[in-house]
Amino acid sequence: MLKKTFVGAVAALALWAGGAFAQAFPTKPVTVIVPFAAGGPTDVIARIVGEHMSKTLGQQLVIENVVGAGGTTGITRGAQATADGHTIMMGHMGTHGAAPAMYPNLKYDPTKDFAPIGLAAGTPILIVAKKDFQPKDLKEFVAYVKANATKINEAHAGIASVSHTTCLMLQHQLGVKLTEVAYRGTGPALNDLVGGQVDIMCDQIVNLVEQIKGGQIKAYAVATPERSPALPDVPTTKEAGLPDYQVSAWNALFAPKGTPAPVVAKLSDALSKALDDPATRKRLLDLGGVIPEGQQRGGTYLGTFVAQEVARWTPIIKAAGVVGQ
Amino acid sequence: MGELAGHLALGFSTAFSIENLALCLVGCLVGTLVGVLPGVGPIATIAMLLPLTFQVEPTGALIMLAGIYYGAQYGGSTTAILINIPGEATSVVTTLDGHQMARRGQAGVALGVAALSSFFAGTVATVVIAALGAPLTKVALLFGPAEYFSLMVLGLGLAVVLARGSVIKAIAMILVGLLFSTVGTDLETGQERMTLGLPALSDGVDFAVLAMGLFGFAEILRNLDNPEARAVVKGSIGRLLPSLDDVKRCIGPVLRGTGLGAALGILPGNGAVLGPFASYTLEKKIADDPKRFGHGAIEGVAGPESANNAGAQTAFIPLLTLGIPPNAVMALMVGALTIHGVIPGPQVMTKHASLFWGMVASMWIGNLMLLVINLPLIGLWVRLLKVPYRLMFPAILVFCCIGIYSVNNTPADVMLTAFFGGFGYILYRFGFEPAPLLLGFVLGRLMEEKLRQALVISRGNLMVFVERPVSAVLLALAAVILVIAVLPAMRARREKAFQE
Amino acid sequence: MIKSPQDAAAGAFLLAIAGIALWLGADLPVGTVRQLGPGMFPRVLAILVGVVGVMIVIDAFLQSGEGLERWPLRAPLFILGAAIAFGFAVRPLGLIVAAPLVMLVGAFASPETRIREVLIFGGVMTVFCVGLFKYALGLPIPVAPWLIGY
Repeated sequence: MLKKTFVGAVAALALWAGGAFAQAFPTKPVTVIVPFAAGGPTDVIARIVGEHMSKTLGQQLVIENVVGAGGTTGITRGAQATADGHTIMMGHMGTHGAAPAMYPNLKYDPTKDFAPIGLAAGTPILIVAKKDFQPKDLKEFVAYVKANATKINEAHAGIASVSHTTCLMLQHQLGVKLTEVAYRGTGPALNDLVGGQVDIMCDQIVNLVEQIKGGQIKAYAVATPERSPALPDVPTTKEAGLPDYQVSAWNALFAPKGTPAPVVAKLSDALSKALDDPATRKRLLDLGGVIPEGQQRGGTYLGTFVAQEVARWTPIIKAAGVVGQ
Repeated sequence: MGELAGHLALGFSTAFSIENLALCLVGCLVGTLVGVLPGVGPIATIAMLLPLTFQVEPTGALIMLAGIYYGAQYGGSTTAILINIPGEATSVVTTLDGHQMARRGQAGVALGVAALSSFFAGTVATVVIAALGAPLTKVALLFGPAEYFSLMVLGLGLAVVLARGSVIKAIAMILVGLLFSTVGTDLETGQERMTLGLPALSDGVDFAVLAMGLFGFAEILRNLDNPEARAVVKGSIGRLLPSLDDVKRCIGPVLRGTGLGAALGILPGNGAVLGPFASYTLEKKIADDPKRFGHGAIEGVAGPESANNAGAQTAFIPLLTLGIPPNAVMALMVGALTIHGVIPGPQVMTKHASLFWGMVASMWIGNLMLLVINLPLIGLWVRLLKVPYRLMFPAILVFCCIGIYSVNNTPADVMLTAFFGGFGYILYRFGFEPAPLLLGFVLGRLMEEKLRQALVISRGNLMVFVERPVSAVLLALAAVILVIAVLPAMRARREKAFQE
Repeated sequence: MIKSPQDAAAGAFLLAIAGIALWLGADLPVGTVRQLGPGMFPRVLAILVGVVGVMIVIDAFLQSGEGLERWPLRAPLFILGAAIAFGFAVRPLGLIVAAPLVMLVGAFASPETRIREVLIFGGVMTVFCVGLFKYALGLPIPVAPWLIGY
């Protein structure tokens, strides 16, 4: 009898705690695992959105950079964290799109092991080349690349980096195989592109915008449906004749699988509020970011989006035969 | 010239605002603190302080972060001299003679010389950035993969000269360092190399992990081995500040070191790392009595320290003029600026003139502050050495552990450091020196990357390294240095062999 | 016979490093001049380390040098063990356990250690470290997850 009452009491207590938990969340600082180095585009976006989310949630969002293996080290750690919403992570196009095809031993499934919170800002991809690269516009570029594929050197920021996978997609669509030169990060790759040591590169707008404005490299097109306010003179791939090349480096917040739904909703709401805040928006737009609007917000959309991305990237990476470990 | 004066006037008027001066001071203080703590690098600290800068306008934010950066350089030299732990790749050289000076009771002099030569180099580098920043950018762009590879070969030549004892053992250590640098995921193919399947090794061995293991932990083990050798301050502390005679001896090394450091710092891809090594080599070669080096030669502190600081400052040139960060700390600065909506690039100088010149001016002010902060601190640091070693080593141990953990927020890194500590202890027992290993490690990764990039771009043409003039000159220099370094050793060996 | 036991052992140690590296890198492709493979650098370096190792061993037979002393095991055992203990403790138990643990275990490395002194010093240092690293520098390091949740 006594035992029964005790069990009942414990159960009631647990139930109460569970309900109260969502109300009370967050009870301590929320750790956001960013799987890339501090100062990079994903990190910057996480810090900008995180700052405003801290205000909404009433607890500090602490950014923890856990770098390695194309971002999968950090996401693996995040996926295994306690699912109470106090540890979340910033995934992106690579970790939740390209990674399953790239890393056969991946310890997480982007579509199954997470409670999606919502898309944060993405950064559009640009096709750029050294400043004296022959073709004048994207149409000429396509023709030239197809005709001279063996001569062209493409720089990228390392296996599984955004610049690597997005250029794989470009090569896939053009049906060419270029000579790839791997660098450790965007900085050294860009340095050699400005210096004319290599010919072309695909990368996120924020990394390239000032060099394009300064005339040190030239941009052929931006791979989004609309032109970027940061570079209004650069045509979209649609306008310039390569409409199928649509890609931007999206970033999104995820919680580990099993995080209580009310907690996820609270985080999702805070993210959405941050994306509506004028000061935050301005910061994101200044770096060329694209902000998800309307139905693109929230966890449900992100869930389906991740599934689409995995399906889109898998054949491209399998065809290129790139395998990480 | 008038233009330069105008720019500097704008810069100083920006930097001299109360707010910016305060931010500069905060940056320098935090930087010194972070630099003095073994293992805690500027990267983790700057990353953590980024949110604080949200409230400040971008110029102030950059001034503060830059203060942390060069403050940490100063502080790193302090630990190198006092407890033989280099905080950064660039202060490895300072351990060679700086710590020996400390052991001979000249810790104060070594610290004073380090601070003064850093200040001088910082002043010169500020002027170099202001006057020549834009034109020097072109030099950086001359360096493609082929030139870089040759520069790294030259760097390895310098590493041989670092040897205090046996040249062949130094060469062995360089090779082992190079070998360690190949551990981790291959950049070009994504294959894992020699990682034993450990996730902690998948991105290679971190410099901090290796340095804390080989110097931090192994140094504790060495000291526990022979209690009499660690009698750092059992004798008198000696003078706290360098004498006039010391200063005179340092003028030449400081001037040469500043020049070398400033020139190498401009190169993207962290050319600044080579500065102190190059300076040390030069001083050892032109010294009347090279045997003093490695046993507390004051020139061996003054030259490399000025090269270190000059390079740390001119490393801002590629960042500010090209928008391309040459190392991880600079990449973080880019991030800080982008958060503020200022994307560094070729137009920063014109579009954000007050930010650019304010930053340049603040560098000089920051260096002055560091001198003012550091000179009085010398007395305190030296007194710290009086703490009994039985309490000192557990403190060093706990700082190292926390520092290593904070580099990547990974516990496995601490365990890996323990492994390298054991490894370093074995090396010491076998009569090897760790400094050449560390240099080989730092240069190895770049060397392999650049070699492979150059060969891919040239479609496998090995002649590319001698056909490109800059590359050819660097290779020739490397050959000369190797001959100079190895020949006397070979001759000495032969003589010794004949005698026996 | 062997004139420098230290050098002989040093050379043998290098040979062992070279052997391990060759073994670990055995399945890495060497590639071509045009596209060097991931195995090229490690293999060439391992061979060079081995060659230098052989040279040092040969030297040991020709030139007299230092002998090999007895290796004390106490210090390495406790110092390195302390660091490993820190690695295991820091995430689950936090700094307030890991910091005193590393100091206490490490302190046993020296025969001069006085237990009571280390206990007090360890407590003071722990408070200092938590204040410095967590609050002053704001590093994301767990303090006491089991007690205060972070």
